[in-house]
Amino acid sequence: MENYFKRKSGEDLPNSIGMFSRDRGIIGLILIAIFFLLATPLLSTHRVTDFMIFCIFAMSFDLLYGYMGRLSFGHMLYLGTGAYGCGLFINYISGNFLLAIFIGVVFAGLLAMILGLITVRATGACFALINLAFNHIGFFLVLSPLRGITRGEDGFGVSPSKLGFLNLSSRPAMFVFVLICLLLVFYFLRKLTSSPYGILIRSIKEDETRVRFLGYNTFLYKWLTFVIAGGIAGLAGVLTALNYNFVNPNAMDVNGNVGVVFACLIGGSGHLYGAIIGGMIYMVISNFLPIYIYRWEMFLGFSLLIIVFRFRMGVWGYLQKFFDYLERGGVVSRFLKREAI
Amino acid sequence: MLEIKDLDVAYGYAKVLQSVSLNLEKGQMAFLIGRNGAGKTTLLKTIIGLLKPQKGSILYQRQEITGLPTEDLYSKGLRYVAQEKKVFGNLTVQENIEIAAFASGEPLDVALGKVISIYPKLKDFLKIKAGQLSGGQRQILLVGRALVGEPRLLLIDEPTQGLAAIVIEEIVNILSSLKEKISAIIVEQNLAMMNRLADRLYILKEGKVVKAITDKSQIKQTEELEVFL
Repeated sequence: MENYFKRKSGEDLPNSIGMFSRDRGIIGLILIAIFFLLATPLLSTHRVTDFMIFCIFAMSFDLLYGYMGRLSFGHMLYLGTGAYGCGLFINYISGNFLLAIFIGVVFAGLLAMILGLITVRATGACFALINLAFNHIGFFLVLSPLRGITRGEDGFGVSPSKLGFLNLSSRPAMFVFVLICLLLVFYFLRKLTSSPYGILIRSIKEDETRVRFLGYNTFLYKWLTFVIAGGIAGLAGVLTALNYNFVNPNAMDVNGNVGVVFACLIGGSGHLYGAIIGGMIYMVISNFLPIYIYRWEMFLGFSLLIIVFRFRMGVWGYLQKFFDYLERGGVVSRFLKREAI
Repeated sequence: MLEIKDLDVAYGYAKVLQSVSLNLEKGQMAFLIGRNGAGKTTLLKTIIGLLKPQKGSILYQRQEITGLPTEDLYSKGLRYVAQEKKVFGNLTVQENIEIAAFASGEPLDVALGKVISIYPKLKDFLKIKAGQLSGGQRQILLVGRALVGEPRLLLIDEPTQGLAAIVIEEIVNILSSLKEKISAIIVEQNLAMMNRLADRLYILKEGKVVKAITDKSQIKQTEELEVFL
């Protein structure tokens, strides 16, 4: 299978992601880093760190929904599993946060491996609702039957120990650590989605039966994508636990799925930049709108309706269109024509 | 190459194919004709593993392939080009070819070269989304994509349906260039095309093979065949 992750020919990537082709990937990483660095004086380091974690979560969801076309209403389960895996490891076994991160991601990935065997067989509403059902089960498991170790609704504190010079209790250190994680996840997903494997999962989104005509065992690829998305959501959960030094069932709350769906739609699904832009917009709305509007969720509902009916391409889709227009010389040629007259 | 014996296929309680038998030698092109609902597409879908027969067997290169999953048949050299001319519209033309290249393990440049050699104009469209191609170009892309890897048997469903005469000519030329290199079963209503390409002809009516013609001179008597369309 490893062949599917890299191209055999030395040819350039097809221009499937607009003006941001392979050469511009590094520029994209730098721009993302600069954007979040510039946001810290405006929004506070802790808040921006939280926003970046949500962007990681949104990218993991976008892999599943935007790229493979499988809308899940239960992705928070994997975020919560990562958070609990990391928190419980630090509380009961060792304060080493690197090991805890590994454990959290592995827990989430393993859970996705097991549940993926059931869920990826379904499509459409069935897929969305099966995931929602598992998310509910997970939520009530940590809330009640497992409260002996999870402390139920109260949750528990997470205090990782220092590791050499790395102290994640310090806000700037946590910010830098999460920023590095975000860039690594972005880089990994970018490589993945622009490889033949990425082409394959986008084809599955369009017409799975026809992918089977080409000799692919689509179940395997859908399952693998589900596991990768689950693992990355787990990483977002781990980072949430470390950022708040606390885990409670909210980390697995099914209502959290609305946010990530909204983020992907508003940013533009099927684009990693879209997931980041959408993640930022959602976090700004959910953090600041409640100050001015009491029932701010209503605004979210109206916005979703407008996006679904009027702006399906999302912010990144329209930005891309604008960049393409500029690249084709729309503005320049119009200007030159006017000057000639 | 392909031997179908007493095949029965049903959608629920409705029997669509009844005791269908068919033979195809290596390098031959067989045409299936018949009115709508005669079971032509059902037969292709059964060969490619999308439908499971109730009875009968399909032998391909003397191996039983009845009921094998679609994806397993690709590696054996079977390629199916469906009726609707559906390419992966949101992928570029190159990506459409690339996905087949990786499935067959063929290097991308070889695969691209193969497709471009049958239709050189496609070279100009490699970077555009396949959804923007015309119906004829899509059909050519689909046939070209089916040639990636080492195809041995093509199953093509109505390749010229709804296409302009000039495009049909291009498709006939492409298929003609494949004659004796690759075997094919083609569902088609275009008698002129059949005249040029067919080595065998099977006429289906209400799920049964009512006539099998293996003599090429008889295939050319199109007036007699028109009653079956």
